[in-house]
Amino acid sequence: MARSLPLSLCFIMGILMVIQFFIPHPISQSFLDIIIKWVRIIMAFALAIGVRSITFRHYERIKRQKGEWGFSLVTLIALFACAFIGLFGGVGPQSYHRLIYNHVMVPLGATMFSILAFYMASAAYRAFRARTKEATLLLIAAFIVMLGMVPIGTAISPRLSDLAEWLLSVPNMAAKRGILFGVALGGIATALKIILGIERGWLGGKR
Amino acid sequence: MKMLEGLGKIDRRIIFLAMTIAVIFPLLRPLYLVGRVGRRTEELYKAIDRLPERSFLLISIDFDPSSMPELYPMYLSILRHAFAKNLRVIVMGLWLTGTGLAEEGLRTCAPEYHKIYGEDYIFLGWKAGITAVMFGLGRSLKETYPTDYYGKPVDSYPILKEDITYRDIPFMVSLSAGVPGYETWIAYAQTRFGIKVGAGVTAVSAADAYPYLQSGQLTGLLGGLKSAAEYEYLNEKAGYAKAEKPASQLMDSQSLAHLLIMILVILGNISYFAVRRKR
Amino acid sequence: MMPSPEILTWISAFLTLFIFSFLFGDNPIYRLAEHLYVGVSVGYSIAITWHNALYPDLIVPLFKQGNILYVIPLLLGVLYLSIFFPRLSWLIRLPMGFVLGYGSGVSIPAIMQASIIKQIQGTLLKPDIIHRADLLLWGTISLIGVFSTVIYFFFSRERKGAWRSLAGLGIIFLMVGFGASFGYTVMARVSLLLGRIQFLLRDWLGIIR
Repeated sequence: MARSLPLSLCFIMGILMVIQFFIPHPISQSFLDIIIKWVRIIMAFALAIGVRSITFRHYERIKRQKGEWGFSLVTLIALFACAFIGLFGGVGPQSYHRLIYNHVMVPLGATMFSILAFYMASAAYRAFRARTKEATLLLIAAFIVMLGMVPIGTAISPRLSDLAEWLLSVPNMAAKRGILFGVALGGIATALKIILGIERGWLGGKR
Repeated sequence: MKMLEGLGKIDRRIIFLAMTIAVIFPLLRPLYLVGRVGRRTEELYKAIDRLPERSFLLISIDFDPSSMPELYPMYLSILRHAFAKNLRVIVMGLWLTGTGLAEEGLRTCAPEYHKIYGEDYIFLGWKAGITAVMFGLGRSLKETYPTDYYGKPVDSYPILKEDITYRDIPFMVSLSAGVPGYETWIAYAQTRFGIKVGAGVTAVSAADAYPYLQSGQLTGLLGGLKSAAEYEYLNEKAGYAKAEKPASQLMDSQSLAHLLIMILVILGNISYFAVRRKR
Repeated sequence: MMPSPEILTWISAFLTLFIFSFLFGDNPIYRLAEHLYVGVSVGYSIAITWHNALYPDLIVPLFKQGNILYVIPLLLGVLYLSIFFPRLSWLIRLPMGFVLGYGSGVSIPAIMQASIIKQIQGTLLKPDIIHRADLLLWGTISLIGVFSTVIYFFFSRERKGAWRSLAGLGIIFLMVGFGASFGYTVMARVSLLLGRIQFLLRDWLGIIR
């Protein structure tokens, strides 16, 4: 039952939603109206998975005083403090919750990926070699886009940005569309496997 | 020959330093390089510009602070354009951690144009269940968002006194940093309900959006910071912008950093070929 | 120009510098900032989920408006919390099954239409190519490009003769595509850095306007 019940539920929901798409009858529409309200509620609870994973992991580290457990304490205190402040103090523009967002979360989040600029420069210098014909082609395309997209490219030649736009709209578009077909077919196949119970990874565990 | 080989051995710290100088120097001493407005930026700009006064414009904030430097300036520009054109703006978000940015943008731009919350614009906040939200908006906005971000019933505001669906919204823009984003809007909202979608994306995914542009599923595309700068320019040219131009200020630095990376790649290759010839 | 007098801007600036400190190697200051970010993000999400989703979508209709039908999503949703109790954690499969079934069901026709049918139409049916020779040429190149790229990804057939040439052509298109993506990626990473430098120089130190 621990496996068959969720698998059946998944199968029934999947089939119903596919059928619903092809039947625009009022009954089918009302069914959709109810389901989407339910899904919005159920999905909101899914946050529990993330909360559990983070709290358990850091709680274990603190309990065993393993490694740099002090940092885990920082995570947990920040988590509970921010949640508590938001839950009871509101989330409006004047709230402390927003203050934490604007002055802790935004600078940290925005800076986290900005340091990649340095590593990318260093990696491109070390690894980006015109070893083969294909790699040379990649390099040339990259250079055209890098120059054509910024004012300095226009300063060198206004035709550079035209060339970059052509490159993006014709050969790049064709390649990306080919990839898109593959991704789409893969997505449909995976969805079918989930509905039909062939893909069961999401059940986890053995029971 | 030795010197050429040595070009491949520049220390990482020197590269970091060069990068720092390349981005900071033009900010202190602007080069005033003039770019050109890209075709895709213009398409999006025109799509919004053509909307009749008091039309609804839906903006979906599908990003969070980690892509803020690229997408937030786009958001500000689109808001300014919409307010200057006297459109009714509905802002919502599919990314939970983007809600704060969505609201900050509104609080920055609305006062510049003396726009009133609930009359000229509304912020709906975030909801769980992405596709369910998209389907919901096609059926009834009021049922999908019974309340706004602040918990007040949406029909208590003049802007949404009457319930609306996609049919009442002639255009929407998804500012997206990944999934869920513009592709989700196209797949679920556009195919079922036919809403016209424009997008602003991070430069990382800009090249991937071209198939959707060519097929007409996307109307206009802003790709990265340079498109944001172009939009700022278009706003200024039309006399819509009244405030700072955060993205335009950075374009000189962007140019110089690109040039630096290209020079580094060329140096690396010169050294590579020098070593290969020796062997 | 003077540095910002706002203490909060100083906090933001120092947190920005904490992250930048990673450039000098992994260090405790960076890890402190990293752990703080994770904690604050999840805490932020909990509050927004309650105020924006659970309260207006579930609590109000169920408990304030007495709509009894909402008991079903409440029960299914609450089962997500079973993950906190190892003995009961298998119950989480029920809401997951419901949501996965729903998601898979709606995605099939959506992907089919958006990424396959419309995209094939885009490749083949473009009325404007009749009027302009250049568009006809680009359209033909695109068609060949899409076709050869798809052939390249077709691995269940031995590459011989014309098939091999087509796959080779596909690689050329793919390389141009990846090159374009790389060029754009460079732009993206530099932009992210610029955003933060702008914050430090303008909002914090007041060196630039």
